[in-house]
Order: sequence, then C-alpha cells, then structure tokens
Amino acid sequence: MNQGMKALVLGLALSAPLAVAGNGTTAEHIEAATAAYKQLAKDTGYQWTVTVKAIKAAQKALKEGDDAGARKLAHQAMDLVEATRKQAKIESETWQMRVPK
Amino acid sequence: MKTIIRNVAFGLLGASVAAASVAGPAEDRAAFQKFYENRFPDTPVDDFKNGVYSILPAAREQWESIEEFPPYELAIERGEEIYNKTFANGKSLKDCFGEDGAVRSEYPHWNKERGMVMTMELAVNECLEANGEKPLKYKKGAMADVTAYMSYNSRGQMVNVEIPADDPRALAAYENGKEHFYTKRGQLNFACADCHMHTAGMMYRADTTSPAFGHATSWPVFRSKWQAMGTLHRRFAGCHNNIRANPYKAQGEEYRNLEYFVTYMSNGLEFNGPAARK
Ligand code: HEC
Repeated sequence: MNQGMKALVLGLALSAPLAVAGNGTTAEHIEAATAAYKQLAKDTGYQWTVTVKAIKAAQKALKEGDDAGARKLAHQAMDLVEATRKQAKIESETWQMRVPK
Repeated sequence: MKTIIRNVAFGLLGASVAAASVAGPAEDRAAFQKFYENRFPDTPVDDFKNGVYSILPAAREQWESIEEFPPYELAIERGEEIYNKTFANGKSLKDCFGEDGAVRSEYPHWNKERGMVMTMELAVNECLEANGEKPLKYKKGAMADVTAYMSYNSRGQMVNVEIPADDPRALAAYENGKEHFYTKRGQLNFACADCHMHTAGMMYRADTTSPAFGHATSWPVFRSKWQAMGTLHRRFAGCHNNIRANPYKAQGEEYRNLEYFVTYMSNGLEFNGPAARK
C-alpha cells in the first residue's frame, strides 16, 4: 500500500465518530455493531472484511471472559461500519469522476 | 465583462454536463476502449484479450511457452466428460447447449422474461437442475472444467454483448455494474478502475495489473497461484478480498451485473478462454 493510500485509510478510520462507549452490556455492544453492519450492507452493498473480523474477535473475547477486550473490539467494529458508511456516501457522489469521457 | 465570461463558462459547463448525462453504453464503450488504446499504443487492439501479457513484453515469452503445454488441458478433458455425461433422465448438457457447447458468445445476455442478466455458469446449473441433476459450485472444480470445455470450443467467437434499448431494466443492470466498477470499496479504498484502468500496468505487491479492456474474454483460467482452474467470479472475489471488501456471492446479482458491464466493455474482442495466468 502506498503512503497516500495509508493516510486515506487512516483518515477514514480516525474521522469515524466514536461509538457510544458507556451504557449497555458488552454483548449488547457486539449486537449493535453486528446490526449496524448488516443494515449498512442492506442500504449500500458496502461491506469490509475487517469489520466481520472485529465482530468475530469480539464474540470470541467475550466467550473467553475478556469483557474489556471484547468491548473494545465491538467499538472498533462500530467505527469501521461508520467509516464504510462514509465511503459509500462519498463514492455515490464522486464515482462519475473516474469514468473516461 | 467578468459576468459575461462567467456566464459563458457556466453555459459551457452546462453543455458538457448535459452531454455527459445522455452518454449511453455505446459512448461509454468507445471512451473506455479509447482510454486503453491511448494508454498502451504499442498493444494491437485485438491483443487486449491476453490480459496483462498484452502490455508486459517481459513476461510474454514465458507465458507463451506455458500456453504451448497449457495447464488447463486436463480441465478441458474433464469438462468434456461432464459435458457428454448422460443424466439419470437420459439427457445431457448437449440437450441444452448443442453438440459441442460452443455457446460462449451467447453469454452474458439480458433475459427479458426474467429481468436479469444470464451468464454461462448460471445457464449450466439451470440446465442441470431442470434435468434433476445437482448444481455445481460456481468458483472452481467441475463448473470451471465444463466451462473450460465450452469456452475452448467457442474460441474465436466475438464478444458482442447487447444492452437492449427496449428494456430499461437492462440499462439499469448495466449501470449497476458500471457504478460498481468505478466505486472505491473495501478498507483499502480502491475501485476496480483504480487498479485496472487508471494505474493499469503498475505493480501491486508482486503483480502488474492488467487492463480491464479484455477482462472477460479468457475464462475460466488456470492460475498458478491457485494451482487450479477458477471462474471469473472467483477472480472478482479475490480482488475484493485483496482490498478488504467482502466478496459478493458468485453468480449473485451484483457480480452478474458487473460481468455484464465488463464484458460489454470488451465488445469487439475475441473470446479466447481458457487461459493460463500467474
Ligand atoms: C489493488 C488493485 C486491484 C483492485 C482494486 C482490483 N484488482 Fe483485479 N487484479 C489485481 C491484480 C494485481 C491482478 C492480477 C494481475 C492481473 O491483472 O492479471 C488482478 C486480476 C484481475 C482479473 C484477471 C485478469 C486476467 O486476465 O486474468 C480480473 C478479471 C480482475 N482483476 C477484475 C477486477 C475487478 C472487477 C475489480 C473490482 C471489483 C478488481 N479486479 C479490483 C489488482 C486489483
């Protein structure tokens, strides 16, 4: 991956709003991330493999009793969903630029 | 004065936007093919069917020597057996696709009755199921073998995909595939067009990217990396995985529409599958 790409990916990730960190059980946070992922896929068709990985890792951590780790992963997944949503929005507005005329 | 200039500029802008919005598939294709012809002036147009080897003289010689003893030969033989095998009901694939299955250039096509893009792989499975046989998996194995046989017998047929003007749903499917091709996806934020158009011929990790002009002509392929045959949708899924986008279902609507667009862009080239790839 070139530097520009890395910066862009990082930018997308950082600009994603922080998921609500406070209320609810960790299992609920994982569920919320999963639901958000599925809803976005339904709305836009955009899905990132890393989001699925984060969700699965969160489920595994929770099962193994690592509540804090699981919660962190669930929030990561939620941030990735938000970054994906941003990508879908930007793309729906700008993709025509790439079509040769 | 300034206002006049601005008005003129706006007028011009308005005109070019209007022109762009009426551009249909035929104009898209002309601009698409022109793009590659300008980018790779040393490549004879009919050679784009050879993928990355059409623009990589350095790798060409080795590839040509591989094609002399092609690694897909066994797949063609296995495919021939599958093709001629008699079903439990006494019929065979021949009843759907003729004596030798040389129907490559009939696919993909718009099926008006069903309002969907039909591909050759989908048609093979529908023939099997209509005759009480089990459908095949879409990405590799027997499906790749039987389509290798059918493509081999179809070599030399021309790509000539139609977007029928009398059915707006066909244009919508085409537009859907087109948008997919040009939109960035995955965590790495790449469009097919980024790698296979705007930076075609550049290195990504250890591989040089091929022009998308010609992308649909040579399937299925035997890929050294897979050490096996794979279909076009298997390759789509691989490229999606590489950019960390979840692949879509092989032969689902998204990939069929993408195939419809990509193949239409290659109209005028020859079908020359199966082929060997790195
Ligand atoms: C990050 C760059 C990248 C992106 C994005 C990408 N690909 Fe690829 N693709 C490659 C590389 C590298 C290869 C292997 C070398 C080559 O192009 O033949 C390849 C191979 C292919 C091939 C096989 C070509 C042949 O002749 O065997 C097809 C078809 C293809 N890609 C389609 C797509 C489509 C459709 C998309 C968008 C969904 C896409 N690719 C996105 C890098 C990319």
